[in-house]
Amino acid sequence: MSLKVLIVDDEAPARERLRSMVGETEGFEIAGEAENGERALQLCDALLPDILLLDVRMPGIDGIEVARHLATMPEPPAVIFVTAFDEYALQAFESEAIAYLRNPIRAEKLHAALAKAGRLTRPQIQQVATASKQASQRSHIGVRGRDGLKLIPIEDVLCFHADQKYTTVKHQKGEDLIDDSLKTLEEEFTSSFVRIHRNALVNTRYLERIARDASGQHFVHLRGMEQPLEVSRRMAGDLKDRFRI
Amino acid sequence: MNAGAREADARVDESRQLYLPDFCRARTVLAIVIICELTALVLALARNEAALGFWSDLARTSLFLLWIGLTNAAMLCMLRGYLNRQSLPRGSAMVLALTAVLVMVISLLAWWIGGMAGWFKSSGIDPQDHWTFLLRNVFITLVVTALALRYFYVTHEWRHNVELQAKARVHALQARIRPHFLFNSMNTIAALTRSNPARAEEAVQDLADLFRATLSEKRNEIVLAEEIDVAHTYQRMEQLRLGERLQVDWKIDLLPRDALVPGLTLQPLLENAIYHGVEPRPEGGTVTVTGEFNKGMITLVVRNPLPARDVTMRDGNRLALANIRERLDLMYGEQSTVKAGRFDDEYIVTLRFPFRPVRK
Repeated sequence: MSLKVLIVDDEAPARERLRSMVGETEGFEIAGEAENGERALQLCDALLPDILLLDVRMPGIDGIEVARHLATMPEPPAVIFVTAFDEYALQAFESEAIAYLRNPIRAEKLHAALAKAGRLTRPQIQQVATASKQASQRSHIGVRGRDGLKLIPIEDVLCFHADQKYTTVKHQKGEDLIDDSLKTLEEEFTSSFVRIHRNALVNTRYLERIARDASGQHFVHLRGMEQPLEVSRRMAGDLKDRFRI
Repeated sequence: MNAGAREADARVDESRQLYLPDFCRARTVLAIVIICELTALVLALARNEAALGFWSDLARTSLFLLWIGLTNAAMLCMLRGYLNRQSLPRGSAMVLALTAVLVMVISLLAWWIGGMAGWFKSSGIDPQDHWTFLLRNVFITLVVTALALRYFYVTHEWRHNVELQAKARVHALQARIRPHFLFNSMNTIAALTRSNPARAEEAVQDLADLFRATLSEKRNEIVLAEEIDVAHTYQRMEQLRLGERLQVDWKIDLLPRDALVPGLTLQPLLENAIYHGVEPRPEGGTVTVTGEFNKGMITLVVRNPLPARDVTMRDGNRLALANIRERLDLMYGEQSTVKAGRFDDEYIVTLRFPFRPVRK
């Protein structure tokens, strides 16, 4: 049985070339094509490809972020990155398990990379996700539900809230449970989010005002969220200074 | 004469050019008047003429020196073409010699007029000793002229240096073709070679034209039509890759095609607009190029949409803008302006410069 390859590239001529090259390679077949990261993730869920030929530089969700969201799949495909030029972002991927090819790709190199990707074990494939965590800040939060992967744009996220066991992401269209811990989220989105409490991380673009009740407890009001959030005493001063609210 | 030959002539002129400024220009004449007046002031202060009084002495010396200075300027203005063909030491020596002769002639005239007007009685000069008067004048003038020449030389060198630096920067920019563009284009061509060899051939020709444009030495001044062609070629290349995601709206019918512009003015702006404004947007976008021609001024506006996420303009953009600004400045001085910034959800670059047609 031949292995299924999904081609992901935003440029039509590049996809076309890869399609004909993969078509000429014995033991591999084309599962489909995607012209952006979002579509690629949808097709991964729908078509369950074995291998992804993944362009790094794409508008919206780029290749590295796609690799990262793939980690939430039970059986993620092996990834072969394709780039036009040496990308700084790919330094994190200097690993045995991950191949990357440079455009215009040579047939021999493509064959070798496909053959190698076909032989990778699951733990090896998982390394891509680990490496991609260091490489980039996501533009979307991925939530895996019954009907596949849901992508929430990070600018739509109001806040992350942690209970004992789970992290909840509250966003414009509701709320979802995710696996990430508040600590890792804080590190990843430090430029746009601020920690207000041991259990809460809020998006600074939705900060509206900070209020204080009779007992001296501070609360933050977020635009688009009725329920105010508790602010720990330690964070209250910082928050006031930083945002003058 | 074709463009190449004209260019070659210009280069010969440039390399041989003496440092002398254009004495036919009002600015240079003003400089000479100032030099004359300052010299007169120094002489009057140094002499401290008791009999005549300071102001009268200054006035008389000024009159004499301005006479020399302005006649000299007129002479150098007429001889400029000839002097500019001489080597640097020869040219300088000739200017000094001419000035010395001129001073002698004018001194003799002054002596003669002074004798008739009876100035000698009031200024304590021995009317018989006109040789001392002559030699003194010649020496003073030679020293002042030598200093002035030195001043012109240093100014000229400084200007020349500024121009060289600007040229070096142009070359640096030309060499800095975005590697992504090169590799992406190569990949597009590789793909088209299989599927559509005719288009692949066109793409190779376009790419060659673009490289010729960026690598050419003759690019300091070109006509606007040529620059628009380069931008169109660039657009065709990117269009193959980006397909319908890229739209460029050209509104440039009003532009005078024969206006002189520095090479690579419009193309880098289009490149930036596509790279920063269209490529990062999944849905693509429209770049608008608008050209206006009003009261002798040309206005070129390039606008592009911004990507959804807050993307900061990368350094490449600022570098290209600074470079265009410098080269327009060099060509049109303070009459040219370059403005750039985001307005609402667009990024807009505006170039304004005077219309100067190609010399036929």
